[in-house]
Amino acid sequence: MLRTTLAGLVAHRLRLLLTSLAITLGVGFIAGTFVLTDTIEQGFRQLFTADAAKVAVAVTPKEEEIPGDVLKKIQALPGVADAQGLVRGTAPLLDKSGRAAGSTATSGISIVSGPLDRTNYVSGKGPAGASEAVLDENTATTRQFKVGDTITVLDVAEKKRQFTLVGIIDVGVDQNLAFTGAVGFDTATALEMTGAKGYHEVDVAAAPGVSPETLKKATSVALGKSYTIRTGDELAQKLALDSNVQLDYLILVLLLFGFVAMFVAALVIYNTFNILVAQRTREMALLRCIGATRGQVFRSILLESAVVGLVSSALGLVAGLGLGAVALNVLGSFDTPVPAGASIALTPRTIVLGLVVGLLVTVGSAVLPARGATRVAPIAALRSQVEEQSFRAGLTRSIVSGLLLAGGLALTGVAIWVLEGDVGLLSAMAGGAVFFLGVIAVGPMLMGPLAAFAGWVPRKVFGVPGRLAVDNSRRNPKRAATTTVALTIGVTLMTLISVITTSTRETVAGSLDEQFPVDFMVSAQYGREEGMPTLSPDVPAKLRALPEVGLVAEMRQIDSANAFVASMPDGEAFRPEVLSGSLAALTAGTVALSENQAKDLGVRVGDTVPLTTTEAGKVELKVVAVLAGGSLGETMPYTVNVADFERYYGPIGPSRVYVKTKDGTAVDVSRRAVEAALVAYPTAQLTSAAEVRGEFDEAFDMMFTIFAGLLGLAILISLLGIANTLSLSVHERTRESALLRALGLTRPQLRAMLSIEALVLGLIGALIGIVIGIAFGWAALQTIPNETVFSVPIPQVLLYLVLSALAGVLAAVLPARRAANASIVGSLASS
Amino acid sequence: MTTDLRAAVVARGLSKIYGQGDAAVQALRDIDVSFATGAFTAIMGPSGSGKSTLMHCLAGLDTVSSGHVHIGDADITTLSDKQLTLLRRERIGFVFQAFNLLPTLTAEQNIRLPLEIAGRQADQVLMDRVVETVGLRDRLSHKPSQLSGGQQQRVAVARALISKPQVIFADEPTGNLDSRSGAEVLAFLRRSVRELGQTIVMVTHDPQAASYADRVVFLRDGLLVSELAGPTPQSVHDMLLKLEA
Repeated sequence: MLRTTLAGLVAHRLRLLLTSLAITLGVGFIAGTFVLTDTIEQGFRQLFTADAAKVAVAVTPKEEEIPGDVLKKIQALPGVADAQGLVRGTAPLLDKSGRAAGSTATSGISIVSGPLDRTNYVSGKGPAGASEAVLDENTATTRQFKVGDTITVLDVAEKKRQFTLVGIIDVGVDQNLAFTGAVGFDTATALEMTGAKGYHEVDVAAAPGVSPETLKKATSVALGKSYTIRTGDELAQKLALDSNVQLDYLILVLLLFGFVAMFVAALVIYNTFNILVAQRTREMALLRCIGATRGQVFRSILLESAVVGLVSSALGLVAGLGLGAVALNVLGSFDTPVPAGASIALTPRTIVLGLVVGLLVTVGSAVLPARGATRVAPIAALRSQVEEQSFRAGLTRSIVSGLLLAGGLALTGVAIWVLEGDVGLLSAMAGGAVFFLGVIAVGPMLMGPLAAFAGWVPRKVFGVPGRLAVDNSRRNPKRAATTTVALTIGVTLMTLISVITTSTRETVAGSLDEQFPVDFMVSAQYGREEGMPTLSPDVPAKLRALPEVGLVAEMRQIDSANAFVASMPDGEAFRPEVLSGSLAALTAGTVALSENQAKDLGVRVGDTVPLTTTEAGKVELKVVAVLAGGSLGETMPYTVNVADFERYYGPIGPSRVYVKTKDGTAVDVSRRAVEAALVAYPTAQLTSAAEVRGEFDEAFDMMFTIFAGLLGLAILISLLGIANTLSLSVHERTRESALLRALGLTRPQLRAMLSIEALVLGLIGALIGIVIGIAFGWAALQTIPNETVFSVPIPQVLLYLVLSALAGVLAAVLPARRAANASIVGSLASS
Repeated sequence: MTTDLRAAVVARGLSKIYGQGDAAVQALRDIDVSFATGAFTAIMGPSGSGKSTLMHCLAGLDTVSSGHVHIGDADITTLSDKQLTLLRRERIGFVFQAFNLLPTLTAEQNIRLPLEIAGRQADQVLMDRVVETVGLRDRLSHKPSQLSGGQQQRVAVARALISKPQVIFADEPTGNLDSRSGAEVLAFLRRSVRELGQTIVMVTHDPQAASYADRVVFLRDGLLVSELAGPTPQSVHDMLLKLEA
């Protein structure tokens, strides 16, 4: 039996090729995920280990910073060769136009010299003295600074200081520094520039013969419990652990897409084996005739699938290596902190997992077809013609699909109308998944009507080939359903993501226009100090003095005594959505609460809430309004009027200033005036409403592109499925095609017939996917507590429809060619 | 050599060689034969005599190694695949041994298929007459799987007749049928020659079937060896025995 199976495999190797490709791609994606993350992890570990080798003991504070006298104390400990404090604060770098670079202030760090220096120099050297500085590679590139240039950095008092750039450094995997950018000074200068009162870490080198453990003990005894003390190895482990938390998310997200790809691959395999079994009915029957038992037939099919699964999983591992390497390069080119130069890691775990998943999915998908093969009666060997498989909707199928569809809808309904927030969203998605299983079950029943619907135009337009194609597309509903569902999965998810991103985008755009009817916003640079960043208190007055400017409104914000409080700006510039009460009533001694804050406190309009202030002590405020959270999260838990805010917290600078152009003045004219007025305040960030919108658009586009790219694989696999089903069908209908050719169907017409069949299948798959995608996109949006606009990107959705149809046609190219080029006489003779 | 004006199909010096070198098999050897318009001709011969190959070459389904085949005024050995396809569509009808019908179409749709492929309208009078002759009026909306073997072959014959082809090629049309259904189909073929003036060329190995024809030509080892006019089952049988001896 084994030899028969293997001989069969070799004979059908071409037919199995497409199936293998589906598994190879799926396993490749999963293996690629692990190759990528293992490589990153290994790179991190190498990096941390190399760093740790230089440090015997590292001291970090549990809170605040390590004061200078503690550093001195450590330096004086016996067994300490050297101890250096690391400074980290902010030191806004000015770009070549004299404005602070980036919306978040550049980090100011100290670069130590000697054996404890862990800095990676890309070029140049470390700063020697108070007039030299280094810059991280990314900032240097984007702001166009090179070694030898003079750079300007603001000190803690916002005074401009100039330095000679002597080196470019690589900040490695430090997420924080990678985000803000970093400018490095010698330790004394760093303390002076950032205004730091101490160090965020002290690194200790041991004297010869002193072990890190001994030194750790000695340091612990000397410093007491307010500091965390680790040996170099422990530090490396902790850093690796921290970076792994982020990697775990990456793995989770990627594996989710890998799961989708494998699910699609499973459908393709299931279909292929079903068709192969159907085509080999006579072969099976012959085996049964000469004495093979049902069990032997069953095992021979499973063995066949196991061989296919194993071979294609092995190929998948190779593909995964490639994918991982490509992904690493892509990530690296996006400024993601990825350790450079790490060698690609294929761990035993990846190999075992890839092989096991590939094997299980393949064999698992072949079980049902194999069971079908055992039902072949020996007498079937004697029948001359393979019977058409007719499909009748059985009672079991009707009940199961009914239950799944109803269950999915019910779960989604509960998610929308009963549950809230993340739980609601997850339930809606779970409901969607259950509903989808129902669609898979009910699929064969839908194929007839849907083929009639999707085939209506092709029938009219393409004449005889069109009519024959539409008939063919519905003649085996089970096969057609499995084939199209594979494509449907991809289209559903694409549509879902399109609907959600478009709706969110429109919601954001709508609320931006609604809530900020202004032309510009001036805001403080983030990261400069603890709490809310503020602008100089003079900024609003300077702007009001400009003749080109109409309205200037300011919002003050403070984070005090665990409460975020804001002052209410002019109503012309900021119009949050009022859920209950009225902002007109926001007079002295009153407060407007955010929706969440009101819910947390359990209060309504008319109630009184306490608030601890810095200047006026504890005050009782009457709630006059509840405000919606706002899609940008700009509504603070507490909002009071301007006079009250000053009374409670004193005259602090505004965090945001809203500016409207004077009527009749061009926006760019007033922008130049505002820019000129802000020259004295280099850290003030000027953004226009259009820029804000553009940033959101970019973020949404980015997110969409990533998702689309990851889903692309699942769609590719489903196209392989269409090609596979079609080529197997073509093989099955060899004689039919020959008959049509004999009756006068030309080669192009025969090719057209098969292409149209694929087109109809593609259309059906896309139609189902679009309907489900839109419906569940709507459901997902309903679970978001904020008011969201529901918007369907019709051109995009139509594009999916067209692309799916075209993809179907593309998948049909090779099978159609083979069918059209077959000789009529040879095909008529074949049985 | 003059071409018989009354001939629907004429083959001159027709040879067909399969394979190359040592593996080459000469299926047809320099065959000259013509088939008269409005006549029912049977091609007979033992297994491997080349009778099916001859039919395939005459019908333009297979290419010839040398020689010429004329259908009407067209030399089909000089035509491209596309021209051949169009010629088959317009001038030739087929009835095969099995698998004659598209399983997705009803009997009526199967009958109309050649016309629709050619983009022509069915002659309703002819349609009625054909359907009447075939005796399938109450089965027109049935799918092939709901018809008996004999009924399926009758639908196939009706389909061949509907486009009024210059010639119908039938390849063992009764090979898969019981004798009663076979007799029905043959009688029907004969009637279409008598009543509709149809030209039919039929390949068969069954003397009984061949006796329905006006004329029988015999093949052996790729050579045209003999022919009979006005055959009876007995005379055909005797001739076959003689050929195999």
